[in-house]
Amino acid sequence: MDRLERLVNLVVALLDTRRPLTREELRERVGGYSDDEEAFRRNFERDKELLRDMGVPLLAEPLDPLVPDGAVGYRVPKDLYQLEDPGLDEEELMALSLAGSAVALEGPGQAAVTSALRKLAGASANAGGSIARPEGQGAALADLPVGETVAALFAGVAARQAVSFTYNGERRVVDPYRLSYRQGRWYLAGYDHARGAERLFRADRAGPPVATEGPPGAFELPDEVAGGPPPPWRLGDDEEVVALVRVDPGYSEWAERVAGQGAVVERGTSGTYLELRVTNREAFRGFVLGFLEHAEVVGPPELREEMVEWLRTVAAGAPEVLR
Amino acid sequence: MAPHRGCGSPGGAAVSRPAAADRLARLLAVVPWVVAQQGPTVREVCERFGVSERDLLADLQLLFMCGVYPFTPDSLIEVDVDDGRVWVRFADWFRHPLRLTAAEGLALVAAARALLEVPARADDIGAEAGRRALRSALSKLEGVLGPASGGAVDVELGDAPQGILTSLNEAVEARRKVLLEYYSFGRDATSERVVHPWRVFSSEGHWYLLGWCERVRARRLFRVDRVRSAEALEDGFAPPEDPGPLSVYEGGADDQLVVLDLSPGAAWVADQYPNEGVEAAGDGHLQVRLRVSSTAWLERLLLRAGPEVAVVSGPDGVGAAAARRVLAVYDQVP
Repeated sequence: MDRLERLVNLVVALLDTRRPLTREELRERVGGYSDDEEAFRRNFERDKELLRDMGVPLLAEPLDPLVPDGAVGYRVPKDLYQLEDPGLDEEELMALSLAGSAVALEGPGQAAVTSALRKLAGASANAGGSIARPEGQGAALADLPVGETVAALFAGVAARQAVSFTYNGERRVVDPYRLSYRQGRWYLAGYDHARGAERLFRADRAGPPVATEGPPGAFELPDEVAGGPPPPWRLGDDEEVVALVRVDPGYSEWAERVAGQGAVVERGTSGTYLELRVTNREAFRGFVLGFLEHAEVVGPPELREEMVEWLRTVAAGAPEVLR
Repeated sequence: MAPHRGCGSPGGAAVSRPAAADRLARLLAVVPWVVAQQGPTVREVCERFGVSERDLLADLQLLFMCGVYPFTPDSLIEVDVDDGRVWVRFADWFRHPLRLTAAEGLALVAAARALLEVPARADDIGAEAGRRALRSALSKLEGVLGPASGGAVDVELGDAPQGILTSLNEAVEARRKVLLEYYSFGRDATSERVVHPWRVFSSEGHWYLLGWCERVRARRLFRVDRVRSAEALEDGFAPPEDPGPLSVYEGGADDQLVVLDLSPGAAWVADQYPNEGVEAAGDGHLQVRLRVSSTAWLERLLLRAGPEVAVVSGPDGVGAAAARRVLAVYDQVP
């Protein structure tokens, strides 16, 4: 028997039952497994894993509910399996399809878009149209990375379910509020349980495994959720200092875009003055030095002195490197 | 009608096929629609799902042998292919496709949010209708993804001024040259140049314009957020058949090769700057090889990284000279 045929039969058998079926029962009902015990077990495990990877909600449950530690059986509850018709019309299905081809998703994202569109086309009984990619279509308008970590975080966001992940070497439990893509990166805004406060996380630094914690629907969204990240000089734990920075006239537009209009305290012939609340001094230094000689730290004296010291060190030249 | 098995050729064993998982995923999505349509044409199915007739028939042929134990004819899925039309019956398990996974939901929502980010031309009625459809599709999609998925994702493709992005898009469309006032970050200088705008696209969170620069007589990539002004000219241009790859990093072979030694505190340099290779150099140090197209770019890197970085091979004293220039702004003579 073809493996695909075996898999279809396995899905049918799992959907067709209300009580969990044992591995042996499934072996008999599905057919196509090897008579060799070892090979059967191996293939069954592989099939189970394949179905779970595809998103089939394959539950492993105790055969006897009164003996939770006893032998397990398997089933797929219909209500968890089915995608209901979302009620798309033809224009809407086509619009999603266009979005899927206009945006080049990196990583596993491209395959995910294809299979998502296929499922929607399968579920939308009343929408005409096609999800096939038009021939000879030009290059994508934008690229967007969608990796496994972000997807796992999204599962928590969509279900209002807490997630846990490793961040800066520490395991965190977070109520995930929202994902934002800014400057080429995904950020997660959420409520950090241990810190008792809302925090912003870089998704690419949320270490695997990302796991869900507790039941879905476990929290309410606050009225306002931080969108994108604050500027880099605010992403840190240094004691807050309010810095005054002067930027040459020709560079103020760029500076204002990065720092935000709210930071501008004065625009004059000698340049634009920005007030920045700094909690990450290294990032602040990087921002100011990005302007080369077109910007300077005006105050406070302590921060200005720090910058001068830094520059003196660089001007003195780095120590010789072994060649 | 008896189940019909004569559809399609069984195909040679040597023909490469998608893995079982791909075929299963396709089957689980296509069958519910075929069931619901009650005898669509094979062509309709192929067109809707973008699948070849051969693949479709192979899948259906296999489906027809499936069902529940004990696999007697009345417990099997029935598939008829007749006169170019297809019926699937007794497939109650497959009346709905498999639900969307989180990755699928996110990928589609993110793509839709991204497309809505692209500014539309004010006079483009078709585009406006498409955006309306996309917005309502998105809210219906979010309806099946979970209670909190509405607005759970927001995407910004770049922080370029909308006005400039729109003018550039219009110039690409109209095939008209543009006069750019452009701030070159690498060279730390503003210049005016006439450019043939080929394409506008976003990559890694920034908007770019790809085109032919008349001043340097070469293909160039411009960051849209550094375009100070863009004025469409009367002159037209002919875009090339193939504008070439849309690669953001184009370290030219002409660019100078610089090798830096990074102490552990500056390992981020190897992560953040496009480079041509990183090697461990002992004591937690790294050696990274970079192509440097302009001095200002290297100056910024060296000023930011400070004593954590040393130039192993490349121009001498660049960082120190830049630091002296900046110190002069602070009225400090080193």
